[in-house]
Amino acid sequence: MTPVLEARGLAKTYDTGGAEVLALRGVDLTIERGEFVAIMGPSGCGKSTLLNLLAGLDRPTAGEVRLDGERIDRLSEAELARLRRRRVGFVFQFFNLLPALSAVENVELPLLLVGRRRKDARRTATELMAELGVGDRRAAAPAQLSGGQQQRVALARALANAPDIVLGDEPTGNLDSASARDVLGLLRAARDRGQTLLLVTHDARVAAAADRVVALRDGLVSDETELHAARPVALPFGREERA
Amino acid sequence: MTTTLVKLAFAGIRSRLLASGLTILLASAAAATIVLALEVGQTARDPWQRTFDAANGAHVLTTVPSEADARSIASLPGVAQRDEPVPSALARVASGGGAERLRLAGLRSPARVNAPVRTEGAAPPAQGVVLERSFADALGLRVGSELRLAAPGGRIALPIVGTAVSPAQARYPRSNPGLAWVPRRTLERVEPDRSNWAWTEAIRLTTAAAAPAFAARAGASFPPGAGDVQTWENQRAEALRDSQPIAIILTTYTIVLLIVVFAVVAILVGARASAQYREIGLLKAVGLTPRQVTVVFALEAAALGVISVMIGFAAGALLAPRLAQPSAETLLSSPTTAANPWHLLVAGIPVLLVLLVSARSATRRSTRFSVLQAIQSGAPSPAPRSRLARAIAGAPLPIPLALGLKDLLASRQRALRLGGAIAVTGAAVVFALSMKASLDAQPVGEVSDVSEELPVLVYTLDAVLLVITTTTLVAIALLSVRERIRDYGILKTVGLTPREIGSGLVGAHTAVALVAALLSIPIGIVLFRAVFAIAGGSSEDLVIAPWWALTLVPIGTLLLVAAATALPGRLATRIPAADALRYE
Repeated sequence: MTPVLEARGLAKTYDTGGAEVLALRGVDLTIERGEFVAIMGPSGCGKSTLLNLLAGLDRPTAGEVRLDGERIDRLSEAELARLRRRRVGFVFQFFNLLPALSAVENVELPLLLVGRRRKDARRTATELMAELGVGDRRAAAPAQLSGGQQQRVALARALANAPDIVLGDEPTGNLDSASARDVLGLLRAARDRGQTLLLVTHDARVAAAADRVVALRDGLVSDETELHAARPVALPFGREERA
Repeated sequence: MTTTLVKLAFAGIRSRLLASGLTILLASAAAATIVLALEVGQTARDPWQRTFDAANGAHVLTTVPSEADARSIASLPGVAQRDEPVPSALARVASGGGAERLRLAGLRSPARVNAPVRTEGAAPPAQGVVLERSFADALGLRVGSELRLAAPGGRIALPIVGTAVSPAQARYPRSNPGLAWVPRRTLERVEPDRSNWAWTEAIRLTTAAAAPAFAARAGASFPPGAGDVQTWENQRAEALRDSQPIAIILTTYTIVLLIVVFAVVAILVGARASAQYREIGLLKAVGLTPRQVTVVFALEAAALGVISVMIGFAAGALLAPRLAQPSAETLLSSPTTAANPWHLLVAGIPVLLVLLVSARSATRRSTRFSVLQAIQSGAPSPAPRSRLARAIAGAPLPIPLALGLKDLLASRQRALRLGGAIAVTGAAVVFALSMKASLDAQPVGEVSDVSEELPVLVYTLDAVLLVITTTTLVAIALLSVRERIRDYGILKTVGLTPREIGSGLVGAHTAVALVAALLSIPIGIVLFRAVFAIAGGSSEDLVIAPWWALTLVPIGTLLLVAAATALPGRLATRIPAADALRYE
């Protein structure tokens, strides 16, 4: 079966005022459909850079990234944006909700971008928020929500179009223990519905829930540990509703 | 502590050179127009006084129907010097491309009081005719050519032997009929019927200050409406009245500019406060009170204001003589720079006040948040949503436009101020278009009493406003991009294409500008009607710009805004998503 996400010889060099910083130095990584992979490593080892390259948010200096076998590192910005709309969800450590939009507007945005009708998008967003436990905070502005609530809304936004893969950059890193546990539970539930999860984390509890842990050090994969057998692949949540 | 606050204020100026430069440009333009409005009249006062002195001007000038009446007024107490009464009669000019009316004053000998002051050729009473200079200029009559008059006995041709000015005669055609001096015999030839003559008695008093009282006594000596009495102050006011419409226009534009200054400076200071959200939090964390933070911004505004007022004062004082130039046609010499130091104060107070109030209003919110919130979040949370923002949320707009509008309206005050600046600029353009329509509507060949400088002044001020508003638009769009870089990263992550993000920014600014431009049309018409009425224009001469010209205002605004925001829009799309997400 074709891996859902694949990186070959991925390298990234940053130019910081004349000095070159090698963030990634040739990473090979394969993520199977329905798999939950945690990426761990010390600060500055290239975890977030790897995630950004896999999501098409940044361009590699060398190497290639394939999504469902299709090479995406050569796509234009517009093509990458259209691809992310439907197939990639992203959750950040600092939530990154749009402050000018209400919680429900943040969640319905990806649905509107793929052409869903306004009413339909609002209904789906409302249902999703209810499912994630923030149904009563639909009209609130992001600033009016707690950290845990903001991350649930961000998760709802990432899951709105039932993407093939959900990427998370320290999604529990800025939450208290209870909220972190809840968010992890929601992520696992998404995986149980068949979505692929790739999370960058420092949190051992998050890593313990993964099927596989990939360790990075100095821009290279230093270790890979299989924790659980991969679950059977199911259709992602909400896929049948997709336009 | 004061030194620290001053250092912080100057650091703020240095770190935002574009915003500081724009503030100085705007505020100095406002200060310059205030100074111009104050100086224009004064710059011609000295030349008028020199003309009055050269003419041995009359403290009181009476024009009555008979020579006997004139002589009786001259016998009133208080007279220091007088001249023989001078007869005059109306004549019709049959040359110079029109049929203008002209008052011919018949002199037997050179006048001793209120004497015409020669500017070219021979001095009155020379054989031939000496024309008042502004009349000769308006009709294009030159010394050496002929003046043909329509007399009861047929046409009379008189050689033009000179031009002169008089402190008692305002510029033609505002002062109509024009004035010319001829020998007494010529007057008798042009108008033999002496019952059509009027007699002017020019009187100098022992003290100039006694002129109003003497004029009142002189006025009481003949039936109401039978004659005319003018003091030297009346003569001066009438001679310098050409600068009145210019002063009204300048006052109007001063108000317009002060509104734009208030709007733009508040936006710029607010943007700085927003950009320095975390820094302000840190300043408060190390012990600065909210009042001291406000003082930093106020000091910055005051420093920019002082520079602006100095530049504005210099520019205004230098330009004023040029705008007072129309009066020069009736004066011996051109208006000169008056540069009254009091005007520096009068111009400085409103400009500094506007800058300080806008700084206060912009920083009020920034100093209210908690220190922890500022340090942690790095950016202020948007204000609660307005009804307008909620309406936009429900409107079936394209997603990029809806997002752009929500972003723009998240800073309600900024959107309102931007709209206000565009509306008053548009109104100024409507004003200029209507003024042009009114001037164009005058019959062909009719000499206009509007000085040439007036339309040029209005177009120049409009150009200044347009440059300022366009620069403001670019600056605000750049500030929006800078503030929203992180949001653009999020939008790209969610799936918006670069083109959609750029079109959202441009579209939102264009939509706000379109509403403002549409509002500017009625505002501009009301402004034009008001200024026209204040300047004493006849309602019959008032013409509003045609509809097709008015449609240029919203169309031009749309093009201008699209052009001004295109570059910031492009910048917004070019930043890689990963970099944008890291941006603080």
